[in-house]
Amino acid sequence: MNAGTARFRSQQAGSARGSVRNDTAAAAAAFAVVAVLANLVEEFTAFEWTLWATQAILALSLTLVWGQGGIFSLGQAAIYGVGGYTYGFWAINLADNTGETMSAVLAAVAAGTIVAALLGYFMFYGNVTDVYVAIITLATSLVLFAFVNSTSGTAYRIGDAPFGGYNGMTRIPRLTVRLPGAESYMLTRTQFFLVCAAAGLVIAVVIRVIARRPFGRVSVALQHNELRTELLGYDVRRHKLALFTVGGAIAGFAGALFAAWGRFISPPVFSLAPAALVVIWVLVGGRTSVAGAFVGVLVVKGFSSWFGGASGDNEPIVLGLLLIVIVLALPGGIVPSLGRTRSRISRFLASRSRASAADAPVPSQNLDRVLEVLSDTGSEDRGHRIAVRGVTKQFGGLAAVNDVTLAFPSRGVSCLIGPNGAGKSTLLALLSGQLRTTSGAVTLDDHDLTKWHPYRRARGGVGIKLQVASIYKALTARENLWLACYAKSRSIESARTRSSELLEWLGLSDDAERPAGTLSHGQQQWLEVGMVVAGEPSVVLLDEPTAGMTRDETERTAALVAQLGERASVIVVEHDMEFVRRLDAPIAVLHMGSLFAQGSFEQLSRDERIIDIYLGGRHADAASE
Amino acid sequence: MAFDRLFNLGFDLVTSISVLALVSVGLAITFGMRGIINLAHGEFIMLGAFATLTGVRNGLNTWVAMLAAAVAVGVFGIIVERLLIRWLYARLADTMLATWGLSLVMVQVIENIYGSVTEGIAVPVGDFSVGNYSMSTYNVVLMGAAVACVLVTYAVMRHTRYGLHARASVQSPSMAESLGVNTSRINMWTFGFGASLAGAAGAVLAPLVGVIPTMGQTFVARSFMTVIVGGPAFVAGPVSASGLLGFIENVSTNLFTPVIGQAMLLIAAIVILRFLPQGLTGQRSLR
Repeated sequence: MNAGTARFRSQQAGSARGSVRNDTAAAAAAFAVVAVLANLVEEFTAFEWTLWATQAILALSLTLVWGQGGIFSLGQAAIYGVGGYTYGFWAINLADNTGETMSAVLAAVAAGTIVAALLGYFMFYGNVTDVYVAIITLATSLVLFAFVNSTSGTAYRIGDAPFGGYNGMTRIPRLTVRLPGAESYMLTRTQFFLVCAAAGLVIAVVIRVIARRPFGRVSVALQHNELRTELLGYDVRRHKLALFTVGGAIAGFAGALFAAWGRFISPPVFSLAPAALVVIWVLVGGRTSVAGAFVGVLVVKGFSSWFGGASGDNEPIVLGLLLIVIVLALPGGIVPSLGRTRSRISRFLASRSRASAADAPVPSQNLDRVLEVLSDTGSEDRGHRIAVRGVTKQFGGLAAVNDVTLAFPSRGVSCLIGPNGAGKSTLLALLSGQLRTTSGAVTLDDHDLTKWHPYRRARGGVGIKLQVASIYKALTARENLWLACYAKSRSIESARTRSSELLEWLGLSDDAERPAGTLSHGQQQWLEVGMVVAGEPSVVLLDEPTAGMTRDETERTAALVAQLGERASVIVVEHDMEFVRRLDAPIAVLHMGSLFAQGSFEQLSRDERIIDIYLGGRHADAASE
Repeated sequence: MAFDRLFNLGFDLVTSISVLALVSVGLAITFGMRGIINLAHGEFIMLGAFATLTGVRNGLNTWVAMLAAAVAVGVFGIIVERLLIRWLYARLADTMLATWGLSLVMVQVIENIYGSVTEGIAVPVGDFSVGNYSMSTYNVVLMGAAVACVLVTYAVMRHTRYGLHARASVQSPSMAESLGVNTSRINMWTFGFGASLAGAAGAVLAPLVGVIPTMGQTFVARSFMTVIVGGPAFVAGPVSASGLLGFIENVSTNLFTPVIGQAMLLIAAIVILRFLPQGLTGQRSLR
């Protein structure tokens, strides 16, 4: 986590284009060194190195999927196996005719992509998360293992290529290229190694570039707070699917190189041990670090041949202990730990020069412009009317919201009050899409939102601030706002400008570079409001915006809400009656999941029944909790 | 179809379901109660089988050896919890990795001690026949063991002080702690209890399967799928999921091959999770 955050920060600070150039230069230098070495050593040594290169590419696929996207996949080795078998089938059947095996490599990449996409679809669109992903990918590997293991006999074959059962597939052609109109050419071992090394370095650079692009920043955000990311309007599931699919393509590619290297592939590639090995490489090297993939492969190789004994029998014990020790003692892995020491030094140096940086002027600080963008285009009728018609939400036998029909105006503040457990937060969650209605409909103007996912509603202009501030605590305030602005504008530059303006508006400019989790309670609430505003919503849902605030902060929040109400439809859930009175807005009272009364503060405060449910309700709740 | 054929098919089906329930109930305890992903669960089962084997070789009565194996694996589980797991609560991925490391070590250590060849334990009871079909009486023992494990789990969790404290620690660890529950101690017992159930499963399965160091692998994926599909209820979850997945696996095994049976189990589990992300018993939880 920490390493990811540090990376995020350095990405924002550094000039992206310069870093790409640095990465490319570093990769080119590494390749030059490797190329010289490969030509100095015996051909057989280069042959051995080739295996490490294919393994590093496999490790990179996990670095991308796990390190960058937080998707803990244990299936990378299995996809690698699928790639290897695909290469074998393709090359055995077609190489004699076409005189090349490049197409077989492409086929392996395609197979890896398809397997990952299919698996990813079921996992991410089924909202399977975290460790469940790990277990499903692992189980898939083991089923593949059982299947391929049982394919001995001539019945299991594709064209001329038998599966081979537990003996594996043999006589797979080596990597052969053929340019149009030229003779086909089989690479020498040294050349093949150089191809693999170059491919690994290119993939590493590409992953670094992706990490620095908005796509990579959203991946980091996703790891920190998936719910907020979705509520900002990012399609979280598609994002994860995309990441996992690219990882599958890389793993399939590595598998093709492996099959071409050993001219052989067998079922154990799908078993537990290789699946574990990939994770160990990445974990040892450091999962957030691209260089860690290479370091991990080499260190683990060194360790297991050093301690595993000549026969390699005790290798599992060494690997198992290594895994345990890394988890207990060095969870970040080797490369990021080195980086942490270095960045501590650079942070010390930076603290000397920070004073001048803080005085730098903020580019734009026109408060009106921030508010203008809320109504955008200037047309006065851009606000939207959100409404619920007969909505009910059942939790088991309990109806948290029961047949509520309510319409909110396209502009101005509305309040939603009621005792604890009245269903206020549930109703907001139904509006934002975090919860699906059991029955009834949610509409925005003439659109039926009932089946829309939260990210779609956010894009349609519905923003929500949750009861417990949902922000990216490990990221800075500026990064929080940048992510929110980018979700709307999809432009790096304009998001940068807008987030500075919002920091100014929220009075957070001085704390912009602090991790948001270290801000005061009230500041965190405002930050979240700012993130909602950044999405230029036409409907703003605020769940207890003043919770935990001082009297002074509450007053400033009331002013802020009134400002918002001039441009958009603002729906506030609040317990603080003094605050509700100050807002001077139409009020709807919920009680036991149903709409109980509607009216102004003056009207409702004269209503005996409401005083009853509040006092009675409080007592009843206290007893039942 | 004749009665005896039907009976045989039904008997086979109930056997499959019992095996699933047996191997997953221990996992449901550690995973469902404490959120611990114990990837060494399969190796705990393996250890139970080897412990039984060792007992029988040293002249113990088979049934006594099985009971002793369950206890021994439970003790081993407690040691593992104290040395390893207790540092890793609330770090899901890390527990998974650490227990994975443990499983690699366990497989190799057992292989170094016992070798990698299949070891057999004689089936301690005979056969019976219905019509033209002969069935193993031991499978009835297996069903009984599965029912017993589920009932014991239910009784312990519902009717003992430990069970009450354990459930309280799951719902709100800090509240349980402030009410005087030693949650660290409870965690230790919970993990030990789950391990001993795994050991019992291994002991009961030992006469039926090849007792080899890598036997855990065949169970770990299946038991995890069962627990996940079952959802959060620690008794109703694995039982209902075993019934459903066991049915699917058994029918497709009979129609095709055991490998396709395993594949169908997995595919069914993934499809179920696509539409019921919380598992079969997950719908009752709030939010």
